[in-house]
Amino acid sequence: MHDTAPHDRILIIEDDAETAAAVASVVRSLDCTAVHRDSLADGLAEAAAGDYRVIVLDRMLPGGDGVEAMARIKASGSRALILVLSALGRAAQRVEGLEKGADDYLPKPFEPEELRARLRALLRRGTMQVLDNDLLAFGDLEIRMKARTVHVRLTHVPVSPKEFELIRYFAQNAGQLVTRAQLLENVWNLHFDPGTNVVDVHVGRLRRKLEEAGSNAIQTARGEGYVFAPLPGSGA
Amino acid sequence: MGVQRPWQARATWRLAAVMALAVAALSLGAMALQYRLVEARLMAAQRSLLAADLDGFAALYAQRRIIALREAIALRADLGGGEMTLLLDRQGQVLAGTLPGWPEGLARQGEGFTIDPAQEIEMQGQRWLVVARALPGDFPLLLGRSLQPVDATLAALRQGMLALLVGVLIVAGATGWLAAAWVMRRIGRLNDLADQVAAGALSARLPGPRAMDEFGLLETHVHAMLDRIESLNRATHQLSDSIAHELRTPLNRMLQRLSSLQGQEAEVAALKGEMRQTIRMFDALLDISRAEADEGGGGLLPVNLSQTAVDVWDLYEALAEDKGLIPRANISQGLMVLGDRTLLAQLLANLLDNAIKYCAPGDQLALTVAEEAGQVILRLADTGPGMPQSLRDEAFDRFTRAERDRARGIKGHGLGLALVRAIATRHGARLTLPETARGLVVELAFPTLKG
Repeated sequence: MHDTAPHDRILIIEDDAETAAAVASVVRSLDCTAVHRDSLADGLAEAAAGDYRVIVLDRMLPGGDGVEAMARIKASGSRALILVLSALGRAAQRVEGLEKGADDYLPKPFEPEELRARLRALLRRGTMQVLDNDLLAFGDLEIRMKARTVHVRLTHVPVSPKEFELIRYFAQNAGQLVTRAQLLENVWNLHFDPGTNVVDVHVGRLRRKLEEAGSNAIQTARGEGYVFAPLPGSGA
Repeated sequence: MGVQRPWQARATWRLAAVMALAVAALSLGAMALQYRLVEARLMAAQRSLLAADLDGFAALYAQRRIIALREAIALRADLGGGEMTLLLDRQGQVLAGTLPGWPEGLARQGEGFTIDPAQEIEMQGQRWLVVARALPGDFPLLLGRSLQPVDATLAALRQGMLALLVGVLIVAGATGWLAAAWVMRRIGRLNDLADQVAAGALSARLPGPRAMDEFGLLETHVHAMLDRIESLNRATHQLSDSIAHELRTPLNRMLQRLSSLQGQEAEVAALKGEMRQTIRMFDALLDISRAEADEGGGGLLPVNLSQTAVDVWDLYEALAEDKGLIPRANISQGLMVLGDRTLLAQLLANLLDNAIKYCAPGDQLALTVAEEAGQVILRLADTGPGMPQSLRDEAFDRFTRAERDRARGIKGHGLGLALVRAIATRHGARLTLPETARGLVVELAFPTLKG
């Protein structure tokens, strides 16, 4: 498991100093280097010049809307993935941002844990291509992508189509915190906060099925979400 | 737009017909006046000729009475030509003249040689202006002039006028049609613009220069109106973005500091929960005002309502089951509506969340998506406590909450159903609460996607 390296650079384009400091602190906690720019023009220049893995991009910036500038960032040759971090957090605005090319969209106010989980998912997405494999094995737990089946200790665990999508997303982010919002967005393609923790019911069911088969792969992370933690010594 | 063309064409024809008839009626009046004038002049001319004849005969009669008159009439009768003469004796025998006998039924009026009274008679297929007298000693005298030249002239005049009238009708009709078509084209431009605006293109404007006339003025006014609406609309959108920015930025700082606090975890979690609820309420308010601002506007795309319903149902079905409800979905495949998937998902999530919140274990919860009577129907029925009659009218207003909810401690901000209504209106869907024996039924009727 080696998702990040100390030399991984993350660019923060954000005009609010306090927010930028909070983002930078999350970036450093991921062992990455944070570079901060507080206007759109400076940010665009830096994105073109430096080699960044991820750009954390605000929207209502001096000089314009970050979402409108994403095409220019991509055109400038940057291979960075873009996470939009904005106060424009209504569902429609999130969908708009994603449709215009953002790789992820996190509304303010954000929990540091949520940002960390999403940045980690983006960093991982940039390096991992192993999901093309048909068989994902996590110790006793095996997931067959084509057959869409889950086995624990060679016992078949019957899962619904949505539960399979869930476990697949967990497997992609194995070992990392996965938040409820991430699950809602990636598994159900819904980009609003439903208020109730509807996701918990689904995760709870999947988890019970795995537990009955003898796997404790899904664990609750205090308050924030879940961790799909394969059994010790069986890392991917 | 396709529907309006025939109407427009009809208006053009109507205007053209009115203009043609008006011009034709006017020229008809003028020609009638002229006709009367010519007729009167020609009649007066014939009358003065007859009066001159009478004067001549009167002079002869004054000299040698009937003898002279008889000679003169005989002489005139031989000359012929548009004249009628006749003189009889006491027994009714013809003394001289152009006629074989006194015309039947012609009354003799007076005995002098004055022109009055004169009368018009029909004879030998012509009209005549005649004076019929009984001269002293009972000698009947008849003198007349043919009105044939007058009638021939008038007939020619009538023919000319008729031809002229037809010409006027054609020319006036064509002119009217051209003028009406021009007017209609100007109106059509405005209609097309209105159609575009109604379809959501608020920034649509008429191309090209504007004429310095009433239409140009009207276009200028319409443009000014649209500019104002557009800037108000933009201001509304900008305001909601600014509010979001100004509120969420400080909330963000608060959350960052909360997250860095150590200890008192229960307290911090409760505060975070409150913040999350605040943001949700605030987003719902902005979503409502945005949906209302965009009402009737464009920006909607074909969305598979069935698939959206399946996605959201899948999420909430498990929650309903866990709460002990009996959920059942009957979703017809492939029903499309013109819409916004995110908004439709929010609408359905709010309805489901609401129903699950109020229902008790054992209650039924049924979602139907089907095509009924040419509409796409989305219906959510539950057998829960229903909605108090007093609340039905205002249930979809902002911040409406039932007293019993507060009493029972059911949480909510009273915006869920308001957002449902705003989203329904945004999609042109009719939102109703059909009567039901038990529980609550919410029904949405979407217009079907054309084409």
